[in-house]
Amino acid sequence: MSDYLLEMHDITKDFNGVKAIDGIHLQVRRGECVGLCGENGAGKSTLMKVLSAVYPYGTWSGQILWEGKELKARNIRETEEAGIVIIHQELMMVPHLTVAENIFLGSEPRNMAGFIDYDLMNAQAEKLMARLKMSDINVALPVYNYSGGKQQLVEIAKALNKNAKLLILDEPTSALTTAETKTLLNLIKEFKANGMACVYISHKLEEVAEIADTVTVIRDGTHIGTQPMAELDTNKIITMMVGREMKNLFPRETHAIGDVVFEAKNISCWDVTNRERKVVDNVSFELRKGEILGVAGLVGAGRTELACKLFGCWNGDHEGKIFLEGQEISVRAPRDAVRLGICMVPEDRKRHGIVPLMGVGYNITMSVLKRYTTGGFIQSEAELAEIQNQIIRMKVKTAEPLLPIASLSGGNQQKAVVAKMLLPEPKVLILDEPTRGIDVGAKYEIYKLIFELAKQGVAVLMISSEMPEVLGISDRVLVMGEGKLRGNYVNEGLTQEKVLAAAIGQPTTEAA
Amino acid sequence: MTLTKKDVRKFLSEYKIVALLIVIAIIWAFFGYLTYDSELGGSQFLTPRNFSNLLRQMAITGMLASAMVFVIVAGEIDLSVGSLLGLLGGIAAVLDVTYSWPLWATIVLVIAMGLFFGLMVGWLTAYLGIPSFIVTLGGQLAFRGMVLGLTGGITIAPVSPDLKFIGQGYLPELIGDAGGVLLFLVLVFLALRTRMNRQKHNLSVSTMPAEVGRLLFAGVIILGFVMTLNDYQGVPVPVLVLLVILAVFTIVGNKTTFGRHIYAVGSNMEATRLSGVNVAYVKMMVFALMGLMCAFAGLTTTARLAAGTPSAGFGNELDAIASCFIGGTSMRGGVGSVSGALVGAVIMASLDNGMSMMGIDTFWQQIVKGVILVAAVYMDIVSSGNQRG
Repeated sequence: MSDYLLEMHDITKDFNGVKAIDGIHLQVRRGECVGLCGENGAGKSTLMKVLSAVYPYGTWSGQILWEGKELKARNIRETEEAGIVIIHQELMMVPHLTVAENIFLGSEPRNMAGFIDYDLMNAQAEKLMARLKMSDINVALPVYNYSGGKQQLVEIAKALNKNAKLLILDEPTSALTTAETKTLLNLIKEFKANGMACVYISHKLEEVAEIADTVTVIRDGTHIGTQPMAELDTNKIITMMVGREMKNLFPRETHAIGDVVFEAKNISCWDVTNRERKVVDNVSFELRKGEILGVAGLVGAGRTELACKLFGCWNGDHEGKIFLEGQEISVRAPRDAVRLGICMVPEDRKRHGIVPLMGVGYNITMSVLKRYTTGGFIQSEAELAEIQNQIIRMKVKTAEPLLPIASLSGGNQQKAVVAKMLLPEPKVLILDEPTRGIDVGAKYEIYKLIFELAKQGVAVLMISSEMPEVLGISDRVLVMGEGKLRGNYVNEGLTQEKVLAAAIGQPTTEAA
Repeated sequence: MTLTKKDVRKFLSEYKIVALLIVIAIIWAFFGYLTYDSELGGSQFLTPRNFSNLLRQMAITGMLASAMVFVIVAGEIDLSVGSLLGLLGGIAAVLDVTYSWPLWATIVLVIAMGLFFGLMVGWLTAYLGIPSFIVTLGGQLAFRGMVLGLTGGITIAPVSPDLKFIGQGYLPELIGDAGGVLLFLVLVFLALRTRMNRQKHNLSVSTMPAEVGRLLFAGVIILGFVMTLNDYQGVPVPVLVLLVILAVFTIVGNKTTFGRHIYAVGSNMEATRLSGVNVAYVKMMVFALMGLMCAFAGLTTTARLAAGTPSAGFGNELDAIASCFIGGTSMRGGVGSVSGALVGAVIMASLDNGMSMMGIDTFWQQIVKGVILVAAVYMDIVSSGNQRG
């Protein structure tokens, strides 16, 4: 029998000719924990989807050996039967079913008559919870009674019930408190001691350092290196993760920076469902006229939540003061923000940006429709003329100005959403991941637009998970991590390593 | 060029209303043929008298459907309109019969009550977040209960001749003709103004012959419509009211910010909210409009029956909802038109009218209408290519 439980060799997966991962290797021994590290979009999730047969055998190239034999799984059920269980970043619980019902979902024990044998099911669930040292959980209660951390453990119980030999954890602690994280890590150590293998994907490198035996780093879909953790430290991992050249993708233009126009003081937000958990923790910052302020951080750092709070659309509890041009303002709904001159291009274009069935043009004018009305009636011709101006200005590629926006490409949809949020002539423009999922050409045009706006004196707050973008565009960079402001740097000689280290919570040098 | 399935599908989805008009033509031809009787001098279905009847029958459903379209487009539903219609009609009858109020005062109060109840339903749904299905299901029961309490379970009659005129009257021939001419002139004026405005903003305009052709076509339709109705007794008052509602609501839907926002809210509420639109207010006002239409329909019902009855409007909400769906309104919100819904109402009324004329049992009529509803929505799904699986 081979030394390895799992060997993945030369795995390549492309989407319509674009390689998402290219020639990646990953090997896991029995009882070993492998840390898988890489920036957002590096290809970690794609690799795990290949392994768990979300992308079935044949849709990718390379070879997977499982316990020495080639694995040709066609669906998740087959990989689970083999003993590979993946626990996703977002919890996959049915909130109104009980803990036991969730654990046994799809494999419910049945009695002679064919009904669910609840006694047996609950008894087995209790045994599993005891193994996880979670005997205080009542397995007969609906799962929504428990916090995110406890639910994460229920998820693991579900994996144990499937006789997992390899547990894949994808960002398991992004929704957990510090104490819950500790419990989880201790548990994984115990599993290791009992011979279970695990792949641990996390941005939180200190967690990786604590439990991983080996670390594999991937970047832009390629294999950068695999080394024993003993030979590494978190700084070395960071260098491996970001070590890429900055290309001249950014049409940088000089622009004057004026007085403070916007100020956020002591902003805190709490999670909508888990109301004990702070997602934004006492963040304060200033934004000047004509300044481009980048907000860096890893997924789950609380950046989108902060933006929502500033734009008046955070649904959970929140507190803190906002000042515009020296005056305290109250933003209770997005319409207050738009009226006062704060606009936001949301992160999730499909859910929050576009009105899919409506024409591109009508999407663009939605924020300022009143401007084209007299006596309550829309002046269609005046509106259409403005639409055509905007379409030309933003270079939106569309066959007709009133074609449903859903039929356009992502980049063109994004340009229309940006146009919509520029028409109210904002003083402060919040861009949340403005270039996510759009092609290079559209990205370049959005960058150019950002500089043009800064020149005109608009204060821009740009949230981005793409480090080169943050460093290529911003005048100043805020770094957030776990809801806190971890750094506030002027973008002069700022390096990706420094930003990433701050995001992870290990400032290499003094934070300003 | 050969027509492929795809071309047909594209045509039908772009000109949904054309497809529906073809369906009406088929239904009318079908009943026209089946009711042909040489002794009585031709088809009994295709007579000016029956055309007039048919339009009067659909007027009430049409009024409800006009506002129901906006409710469904906004992603909501209203199951309470039949009961609310009954309540408002009952109030009208009590004011008219028992208290002998003047007609104008009755109308003003009933409209005010309609708006009040509509706003209440809208507030419960939009601001308190209770699903509209629940709020209006509750409303259906509560309003019906109020009707029974108000009327004491008996018919209130006879209503004054003034009130009766709203439901049973006809416009004199001359006024009908004048109305037709006026409507045509308004269309010509609007077409010319749009042309000039488009030229002012450097937008493309269609050729003059095409424009004239379109206007002439509209003129012929108007002429035929008025002449046919004048051939019987004139344009019925409820039909006139419905036509005015059609015009006003079409303008509201296409030419006002409120109308634009209704479609936006129904297509993606979150994105609309994040564009700075007060989505709760939009939803509440949609229900207010629905309440207003219940007042119109209630007054017309009472006038038509010349009495307030405890069962007035029973089941009307389902006819209105069915009309919307037959007329191409999307179950998922964001898509639908008032004209489509009214064509849907004409289809429903034609089926009712034609089958009654042929002496088909009521139970068969209901079965046929049910099947037609499901089939019509399936056709819509096929033509827009939204099949599942």
